[in-house]
Amino acid sequence: MRRVDPRWFIVFLANLLLWWLVSTANHYLARFSFLWIDYCSIHLYVGGLFGVYSALRLDSKQGWIVISLTGLILDSLEPVPFGTHVILLGLVHATLLYGRRRFPREGAIFGIVVALFANLFLVIALSFLMVGTNPRPGEAWLRIFVDLLASQFVLLVITPWFQALQERAMEMARIHPTTGRRVAF
Amino acid sequence: MLPKRFDQARPFATLGIILLAWLLLPLVLKTFTRATFFEIQAPLTVTDSYAQDLQTFWSNRLHSKDELLKAGQDMAGLFAAYDYSKQINQETESDILRLENMLNLPPLPTFRFEPARVARRDFSGWWQRMIIRKGENYGITVGAPVIFAGGVVGRVTEVYHYTSVVDLITSPTFRLAASVSGESRPVSYQGGLNDSFKSPRGTVEFVPLDIFATRSLPKHLVTSGLGGVFPPGLTIGDITTLEPSADGLFKTGEVSLDERLGTLTEVTVLVPLNPEEF
Repeated sequence: MRRVDPRWFIVFLANLLLWWLVSTANHYLARFSFLWIDYCSIHLYVGGLFGVYSALRLDSKQGWIVISLTGLILDSLEPVPFGTHVILLGLVHATLLYGRRRFPREGAIFGIVVALFANLFLVIALSFLMVGTNPRPGEAWLRIFVDLLASQFVLLVITPWFQALQERAMEMARIHPTTGRRVAF
Repeated sequence: MLPKRFDQARPFATLGIILLAWLLLPLVLKTFTRATFFEIQAPLTVTDSYAQDLQTFWSNRLHSKDELLKAGQDMAGLFAAYDYSKQINQETESDILRLENMLNLPPLPTFRFEPARVARRDFSGWWQRMIIRKGENYGITVGAPVIFAGGVVGRVTEVYHYTSVVDLITSPTFRLAASVSGESRPVSYQGGLNDSFKSPRGTVEFVPLDIFATRSLPKHLVTSGLGGVFPPGLTIGDITTLEPSADGLFKTGEVSLDERLGTLTEVTVLVPLNPEEF
């Protein structure tokens, strides 16, 4: 009997958890006071992190499934043309798949670097797509820059945790992330 | 076996196939997929919101009896004031009805007030939206105005089974016909000036040249009731600056918006009773 391969499901659930945590943080960061500043508003965007584990650790087919599902979830929640995240995350995924053999893809530091660059690319791409509707694009870019700085800092902190979470989930399911074979940890 | 060069380019070939399939997918299927994926995550958002309500409930339970008595006294004063306002309102409504009948005027649009809890706020430089905890199950319709005690909140843009998405007045995609309080000439309002460390602002265009506003003497901006679903007279904000536009025919300026928009927990949706009127 053919065994069901749950790798895509595990990674997708982890992505869903991350999305939920970040959107909860954004709910509270919509308006807050900090020290002497009475009005602060920050939006965290961590889309770059969704593609790291699936591109660096999973095999190609499983990675594409995760990226497509995560992209569809993000697209359904944000007022962007439907399919934008599927394509943008897909582009990040394809680039990482193309070059992953040449890099130390199991290292945590490399994961952080990839997440930061992927996030930077996604924020810039989304900004070019969305900023045209703004009555004063210059001011919008300033806000996007502040949000990007905050997002990159958060990414720096949470990427090792998120990678470890996905790794641990695979260990608990006793599955090797790349081959999909059962392993005894 | 595939040549090595193709094998290396396989990820991009896969992406190309996905892109092509996506482009060829009928719009109906895309719309259905979007709604399905939204509904998949909706329980997470709603459960989270209910958990927050429960947290608020238990923290309120910690208030002492003295605090509750004091709050009760304050509420009694408010009730008395609202009772008086209600009587005045009833009288005004009957006057309007009488005038409508006398002058044979078409009736003003009527709404059902549907209060809804805010489940999620999503304020970025790209968009400003919130998800409320009522949808098709309460008869919410796309385009319905959303208000709060301080005036306009936004407009419902997407309606799902038990949630709805509201595009905020601060969002760059939000446009509205407005007028300066006490004036009948319409002006155009657009949101979108959302700095990280300043309260939200919007822009106003096509303001007649004889209208002046400064930070010390702002002009109150309200909905005009023209070309949309918003009833007239709802507060948008205050015009704080006005300067001549590039063509010199009108003025453009900035509108200071209510800071409470960023912390709203409850809003009211105005559900049109006769949607065909709009």
